[in-house]
Amino acid sequence: MQRMPGSPTESNAVVALSAPAAHAAHALSGVEQEVVELFDQWRDPLLRYLSGFWLAVPDSEDIIQEIFLALFQHLRGGKSRENLRGWLFRVAHNLALKKQQRTRRSTIVETDSFIDPGPNPEDQLATSQARKRMLAVVEALPEQNRWCLYLRAEGLRYREIAEVLDMSLGAVSHSLERSLAHIARAAER
Amino acid sequence: MLSEESHLSDQELLLCVDGELQAPEAGRVESHLAACWACRARKQEIEASIGEFIRMHRRNLDARIPAPDGPRALLKAQLAQLAEPPRTHWRLWWAAAAACALALAVYPIFLHSMGRPAGRVVAVMVPNPSLTPGATVLVDQSEVCMESLTKNKTVPVALQRRVFDEYGIRAATPAAYEVDYLITPALGGADDIHNLWPQAYTATVWNAQVKDTLEDHLREMVCDGRLDLATAQHEIATNWIAAYKKYFHTDRPLTRFH
Repeated sequence: MQRMPGSPTESNAVVALSAPAAHAAHALSGVEQEVVELFDQWRDPLLRYLSGFWLAVPDSEDIIQEIFLALFQHLRGGKSRENLRGWLFRVAHNLALKKQQRTRRSTIVETDSFIDPGPNPEDQLATSQARKRMLAVVEALPEQNRWCLYLRAEGLRYREIAEVLDMSLGAVSHSLERSLAHIARAAER
Repeated sequence: MLSEESHLSDQELLLCVDGELQAPEAGRVESHLAACWACRARKQEIEASIGEFIRMHRRNLDARIPAPDGPRALLKAQLAQLAEPPRTHWRLWWAAAAACALALAVYPIFLHSMGRPAGRVVAVMVPNPSLTPGATVLVDQSEVCMESLTKNKTVPVALQRRVFDEYGIRAATPAAYEVDYLITPALGGADDIHNLWPQAYTATVWNAQVKDTLEDHLREMVCDGRLDLATAQHEIATNWIAAYKKYFHTDRPLTRFH
């Protein structure tokens, strides 16, 4: 048996690794529990929506943390529980815009990452030219149209989308119609 | 009889598909669709476009969304801090000190797990060198490159417990970690406590999958004769993240959405 001669220069690993233990014993309150449950339910849809802002995934994860901490304050303050879904996406949208302004063009996710065909041959086959064209079309959509499409894809009703994006109902339906027409043309070609 | 002019617009069809039409309008559209093949076909085309988009959207994103365990644990820790009730008792100072200590400890874990520099980065993605310097068995290059040695080995439970004890991880928290070999057995790493460390599940960037990629790459280089075994073992034991950056010529893992 040999010992390795080299060693990392950083220290404190024990302290850091042990730190979560301090909170492991913390019993979640009703509101905390509710927030964690909503996190489990809405984290993935929110991350998918945030992908429409071309933020790096760690930045999107930062935003998710901020959203649910804000939600905790919101619920603990006894504020409205009406349409929490719309509330979550509205906060996500506003935080993403802020983050986008701070990081624009510096940490933009390469679009190629979204056309990775995946590891197995079936996935590779499925990543057809039509799919790539469609992806290119979606990426080329004006931001507002893309956000509309992504919000609808997560199940938001037109009224909710209108509130998140501060648009009229008519503008939402026009936007979706135009985007779907582009997608249909890309699929046909 | 319907005339050409009375066909439904794409917008009306989309509103119908999405259930966004109000009662009198919805009835008119439904009646028209019942009578008009062209509009029914167009409605199906719109639904097909929606289907195509959703399939592409989900396929491209879902597989790349990181596991929620780390972010959920971080959220719980932050909620626990926020939930701390205000106190007037002198113990407030102890609570504040504990919260600061926690913040200093947990925040770098989060930042480091996201692969970005923090002001005072604590080495949470690499093991404590005094506890886990790395240990190897006496094998040479030809033995390492035998197929049978490449399989992942499971760390015995008793050994896992000893690792947690060494790192001061109490009984309630081992679920937050995976006990991993610092030097993989596929590169001659030993089943020894000095070669085992608790890798935090909070890692979303520099995680076990990324380390596996490095291990595979180093083993390939060793077996191709491009790198000697001792160097590979030394580099992975010294700082596997630095080794990854060196051998893949990158500052971040090459595959995204870890």
